[in-house]
Parts: sequence; C-alpha cells; structure tokens
Amino acid sequence: MSTFFLTIGFGLCAFVFCVLYRVVFGPGVFNRIAAISAIGTKTLIILLIMGFIYDRVEMFVDISMVYALLNFIGVLAAAKFLGLETDL
Amino acid sequence: MIRSSEDIIVRTVSRILVPFIQLFALYVIAHGHHSPGGGFQGGVILGASLVLLLITYGPQETRRHISEKSLIAFGSLGVIVYSGIGLICLFLLGNYLDYGKLSGLLRVVPSEARSLGILGVEIGVGFTVMAIMFSIFFDISSGGKPPDDEKNNP
Amino acid sequence: MMGGAIILSALFLLGGVFFFFTATVGVLRFPDFFSRLHATGKGDTLAVLLCLIGLAIYEGFSLTALKIVFIAVFMALAQPTATHAISRAALRKGIQPWMKGGQENDSGV
Repeated sequence: MSTFFLTIGFGLCAFVFCVLYRVVFGPGVFNRIAAISAIGTKTLIILLIMGFIYDRVEMFVDISMVYALLNFIGVLAAAKFLGLETDL
Repeated sequence: MIRSSEDIIVRTVSRILVPFIQLFALYVIAHGHHSPGGGFQGGVILGASLVLLLITYGPQETRRHISEKSLIAFGSLGVIVYSGIGLICLFLLGNYLDYGKLSGLLRVVPSEARSLGILGVEIGVGFTVMAIMFSIFFDISSGGKPPDDEKNNP
Repeated sequence: MMGGAIILSALFLLGGVFFFFTATVGVLRFPDFFSRLHATGKGDTLAVLLCLIGLAIYEGFSLTALKIVFIAVFMALAQPTATHAISRAALRKGIQPWMKGGQENDSGV
C-alpha cells in the first residue's frame, strides 16, 4: 500500500510542475492567481499522502487543515486587491 | 481603501466560517505539546480570521466591532500574562520562569505545574500575536489614515 | 484491515487523481481565463473531495478520519467561494470572455 501512495504522490507532483507553466507564462496576473490556488489544492493532498507513508497521520492532518485555510484567505485577499478600481 | 464587498456569497460564507476558524485556532494553541502548534501558530490563525473579516466587510464595519482600544488591551494582556507568570515564579523563591515552584500555589506535583505554566505562557503569546497581526494589516491597508477622521477626537 | 476497505479507498483515490489530471489538462489547454477558471474551480474541488473521502475510508473509524471529513467540508465550502471572488474581480477589471470566431488571441490583463 505504501508503494501505491508513493506513486500517487509522484503523479500529483508531476501535475504541480505542469500547472507551474501557467504560473510563469500566464498572460496577466489573474491566470497566475488561479494557478496558485490549484497548486495549493494539490499540495494539500500531497501532505496527507506523506502523512500516510510515514505512518504519522495525526501530525499531518492539522498541518493540511491550516494550509487549506491560508490558501483560501490568500486567494480572497488577492482578488480583493486586484479588483480595486483606483490606485492605492 | 478597501470597500465593503457587495457580494452576498462572499459575505455569507465568511460570516459562517470565521467562528470555526477561531475555534480551530484555540485548538492549535491548546495542543501545542502534542501536535504541531503552540502559541505563535495559533495566534497567526486567529489574526488570519480577523483579516478575513476585514477584507469582506471593509474597515468601518470591522472597526465598529473591534475597536482600537480593545486591540491594544489584548496586546498588553498577552504580555502581562507572560511576564506575570514569570514574576509569580520569582516571588515564590525560584528563577524567573521556573514553573516548578508553582506547584505549591496550585497544589499539584511539580511536573504537572510545569505543563500548566507552559500552557499559560502559550495563551499569552497567542493573544499578543493576534492583536499585533491585525493591527499591522489594518495600518498597512488603510494607508495610515483612520477610516473616520472627524468622529474621533485626536 | 479488511480487503474491501482498501479496494474502496484505492478506487476513490484513483478517481481523484483522474479528475486532477483532467483539471491540469484544462488549465494548460483552454483558450481563455474564464474557461481555465472553470477547469480549476470545478475539477479541482471534486478531485479533492474524492481523494479526502478515500483517505478517510482507509483510516477507519477514528478521530483522524473525522478531522479529514472536516477538511473535506471546509474545502467544499471555501473553494467555490474563492473561484467566485476571483472571477468577479476579473470581470470588474474588464477581461473579455473568449468568443468563438471573434478574437483569437488570449486577452489577459
């Protein structure tokens, strides 16, 4: 079972690198924000799978919950800032 | 200047989620010695919940609920708790933060008193970090000017 | 640990990885910002829910599985809200949706 989790973790890491193309080359800033949100979602699953591989799930569940929270608040703050009409 | 969000979805969801985020932050503070967490991390999550309120409701509404006086009071309360525990240990003929001497005051064994002392200073640290994080974010986002300048007397 | 629970959790995990794959292909290949936002807002949320349910089934009846279910509920509530907020900000800034046969190039700010 540990090999199965390891394969899924590597697959998700490959997906993260594919979305990184959109972070670097996305024309404009909104594409980059959406891609960062997608990377954060995949990172959450990778953290949990690492917890299952090392057999210390209780520790990694708290960490991934905090990461989900901070990802949400970060995207909301970035959207609020980018949607302003006047210059700060 | 951050306006209030006139979108009903974002306002409703943030209003639902903020109490649960704060409850999770208190859990992280209290479980500092079992799992990753402690005073600083829980304080950051508490500050993040207040920042979420600020960016969805605007500065005027948030200032009405969290006044500047209460923020300063929270920041000072954390420092008072931290140094107060240290001073109590000093008065009980020990070193500055020697929690073992608290066992006479709380009537428990010294190892239990050390655990309770650490929990107390973590709570103090959490309060201070929350107040300072929200205050810094508010000062940076409002450009230094208070939101309603003519109502408050300088 | 019964064999049925392992097979079920593996199926959920594979379904989640499949939806992650389609969401990634969508983010890379769609012609416009709003369609990419569709791909990552809907596909990623469903994939995360499936993966978390699979991991919770693997863990069994314990406190950790309950916490994973809490993460899933939070994700189902928060991810669509973030997508909605950023699409409103983009529309306010004046990004035009892609019309078939109209503009050919990608118009991002």
